[in-house]
Formats: sequence, structure tokens, C-alpha cells
Amino acid sequence: MNLSVENLSAAYGDTRVLWDVSLEIGEREIVALIGSNGAGKSTLLGAISGLVDIVGGEVRYGDVKLNELPPDRIVQSGVVQVPQGRRLFGSLSVRENLLMGAYLRRDKEVEADLERVLAMLPRLRERIGYLAGRLSGGEQQQVAIARALMARPKMLLIDEMSLGLAPVLVDSLLDILTQIHASGVAILMVEQDVQTALEFAERAYVLETGRITLTGPAHALLDDPNVKKAYLGV
Amino acid sequence: MVAVPKPRRGAITGKRWVFLVSLGLMAGLLFVPAGHSDYLNLTFRNILMYAAMSYGWNLIGGYTGYISFGNVAFFGIGAYCSAVLSKAGVDNLFADVGLALIVNALFAVAVGLPILRLRGHYFGIATLGVALGLTDLASNLDFLGGSGGASIKQIGEAHFTTYYYAMWAVTLACMIATFFIARSKLGYAFVAIRENEEAAQVLGISPTRYKVTAWAIGAMMGGAAGAVFGAANGFIDPPTAFAVDNNVFPIAMAILGGMGTASGPFIGALLLSGANELLQQHFLKLHALFFGGIIVLMILFLPRGLMYLVGLRGGMRRWLSDLAVFRV
Repeated sequence: MNLSVENLSAAYGDTRVLWDVSLEIGEREIVALIGSNGAGKSTLLGAISGLVDIVGGEVRYGDVKLNELPPDRIVQSGVVQVPQGRRLFGSLSVRENLLMGAYLRRDKEVEADLERVLAMLPRLRERIGYLAGRLSGGEQQQVAIARALMARPKMLLIDEMSLGLAPVLVDSLLDILTQIHASGVAILMVEQDVQTALEFAERAYVLETGRITLTGPAHALLDDPNVKKAYLGV
Repeated sequence: MVAVPKPRRGAITGKRWVFLVSLGLMAGLLFVPAGHSDYLNLTFRNILMYAAMSYGWNLIGGYTGYISFGNVAFFGIGAYCSAVLSKAGVDNLFADVGLALIVNALFAVAVGLPILRLRGHYFGIATLGVALGLTDLASNLDFLGGSGGASIKQIGEAHFTTYYYAMWAVTLACMIATFFIARSKLGYAFVAIRENEEAAQVLGISPTRYKVTAWAIGAMMGGAAGAVFGAANGFIDPPTAFAVDNNVFPIAMAILGGMGTASGPFIGALLLSGANELLQQHFLKLHALFFGGIIVLMILFLPRGLMYLVGLRGGMRRWLSDLAVFRV
């Protein structure tokens, strides 16, 4: 199923943040959304997840209009967000954090999924009983991703995964994303680290002051002189 | 396949053995009326009453992280429920508590929906406003006796004992309800909101729904204690129903014992009431000063309460490194 955003506009009070944004993420695709601070990237993810009110346009996932659903139904439909800044439940254990990701699920496969997630992220198995707030930044980001996986996403929205992490940690997180993608999950990643995002994604959109200004295959954007000038500093 | 360790629930109910000790102490408190002392009955009934109110506050303040300064409103409403029923000719503790539960749940949902949108100190101030508003309202409603108050018919001769057991039962119910709520998915939603409301929302946990639920269950706890108090006291007026002490003590008790734990409010109520009783006997004029001092010291050096010390691993060094007061 495709996630499609059509002519989406969003505002905080009187301040318009997104203007007629349209984008599409196909089944099993990896798409990057890049742009500078304040371009509206997180707002766009928030609007998809139903956390930000939209003023116009629509968000569809397959035939379902997500913008008419409350946040919990959006999560249940398979569109799950890994929020910026990790946002863990600091005084709960890693295990409890992961189980919180499955909060809305009523099926009997939660334990089996936990085992699967821990098999993918062996570091977290070692840390399973630790309080999430006591982990290192890289480990916390792993918990945040794993917690989202526990909701059984078909479309994962990842906001600023690399923020504040050493490049070597980012590389290992990207390896994890590759595995997640291989298991059949589409990924929309929002990144300020343009180089990393464009090397990892298949396609990309550039968001500038609330508008999509450029789109195309990621490698093409990587060679685009405008992108180079604006974001890569070369 | 390596087995996933069993969940550690220590963080959400406090240490299991402390809860068992608390239950044991509760069982011991059943024998207070055997002392045939009205003073003892009254003193321990007050301790139980504060414990029940503290449990009510603990759900919203301790578990959900919304610090309320207005939970006395529910206590007062509960007490007035007894007065209204008594005036209507119904003098039955079950009816008193039942009405208090219903009225408080409805009131809490109606008030909670707007004010639980506020966060931090804005929420705290709004709750204070609710309590003050109700005090004024009760003073001006004639059918509640206005500022002159209303009397409540007492039941039977051995009423001290009856009311004591009633308060005991209410407190035990609050304690056990807290333990099971904390371990349930409901309790985890409360804690998730306390720890990170945005994250809870992203995972599809509707903050409004769960905040109002925590607030309403807490309101029912405080209301039940108020209903028994009203009936036991035989008289209720606005300054008694909405007393500042009844607002502050339960909060201080939950902090002392340990916010967001199932034993904290009870342990805190025992210790703080005990301390208060002793101070009042020996330093009548200064006891409030000591009491305030205890609260200040607790906030500075043991902000997470005695339950934190019980669960502490890493000893003194870990404790000191956790203290905000030593960070510049």
C-alpha cells in the first residue's frame, strides 16, 4: 500500500507551516525527506500521524484516509512514527518500553515479536532489564526504533534518527534499518544529515519553508548542484 | 532462543515486599478498636483517611505526573454527599460512599476534560482554583447548609468503631486498587504519560482519555474517604470539608512514601501522621514549622520518597549523584 500525501497544508494557530505538500511513498520503498531547520519536516510527520491539525489536503494510506482517523487508529493501520529525540519512558525498563510499543495490540504474538526484535537488536537483549533513561544515546535510539517495531508497522516514519549520534553509531542504526526494510517495511526518514539520508534512501524530497521544492532519485539529488550548495556545503 | 527475562515491575508498584509489609500493617490496624479508646480510634481513623486521600492524589500526581493542588475538592464533595443523604433521611454508610463515588467520578470527568489540557504549574493552579471555587460554592448553597454547615445523623452507639472500620475498608480498597491498576495496561498508560506524553501519543495512547481516567479514579478514592469522614464527624462545613491540611497532607505523604508506588501513600501517611501527632503534643505552637521543615528536607534530599531508598542499588554515591540539589 502506498502512503500518499496530497496538497497538505498545516498550521499552528495562525502560523502556516506546510503549503500544499504532496508526496508518495510506495510499498517497501525507502524515501528521505530532507531540509533545513524549521522547514516543516517534523510537522509533516506529525500531520501524517494525526498529531498536528491539518488545514487542507489529505493523507491516504491505501484506501484509508488517515487524516480522518485519530492517532491510535493511524498506528493500528500500520503507519508508526519514531519521534525525534527518542522520547523514551526513562524510568521504565527497556523491556517495558518495547512492550509499550505494542500497547494497542490485542493479538497473542506480542512476545514472539519481542523475541524477533531482540534478535535483530542483540544489544537490547543485554540491556533488557535496564532503565531506558540510563542507556547511552545510541542504545536509546535503538530502543526507540524497536519500540516502534513492536507496533507492527508497515510504514515507519523516522524523525532525525542521527541527531546527536557519532557517525559510527549512525552506520549501525542504518544497518538495522536495512534489516527492517528487508522484512517488508517501507521507511520515510526525515534527516538533517543530508549526505547520510541521500546515500541510504532510494528517493528523496527536499522541503524548504513548508514547500516541496525538489524531488527525484536520491543519487540524482546527491549530484544536484543546488542540493550540494544548500545542504552539503560543497 | 534465549529466554526474555521476566518483567521487572519494581518501577511501577514499588518493591513487592514493602507492599506485603503494608498489607500486614493494615491487618494490624484492624485491632485498633480493641484498645477501647476513642482517642486511638480517632487518631488512626485520621491516618487511614489521609492514606486514602493520598492514594487518590497518587494516581494523578504520582503515576500520571500531573501535580494537583485541588484533590481536597473530591474529599469535600464526598463529605457533602453524606450530608445531603442524611438530610434526605438516608443514614447508611454504603449509600454515602456509593453516592460519593458516582458524584466524584462525574465531577472529575466534567472538570478534568478542560483542565487536564493544561500542563505543569498551569494545571496545578487550575486545580487549586477548583478547590477554592468549591469552598465558596458550598458556603453559598443553602441546601448544603451554607457557611453555617450541615449536620449528619450519627449511626448507633458504637459509632467510633463502625466509622473506624469503614475508613479502614476504604483505605484498603484504595491500596489494593492502586496495586492492580499500576500493574495493568491502564497503569502503564498513566506512567507512559508521566514519562513522556508525546511518546505515549505517538504510540497511540490517547493522553486525554487516560489522564481523565486517572484523575476520576483518584477523585473516587478521595470522595469515599470524604463520605466516611462526613458521616463520622457528624457535621460538615466548608472550612472542614475543604481544609488546607486535607489538601497538603496527602501530597506530602505521597512524596514522603514515594510517588507512583502502591505502598508510598500508606507508609507516608503512617510516618507523617505519627510525626505530626508527636510534634503537636510536644511543640504545640511550633509543630507546623517542623512539619514544613520535614517537607522541605524531603524535597531536597529524597524527592522520590522512602521507596526510592528501598529500591536503591549503588548506595550512597548513587543517591548523591541523583540529587538535583548538588547540581549547580
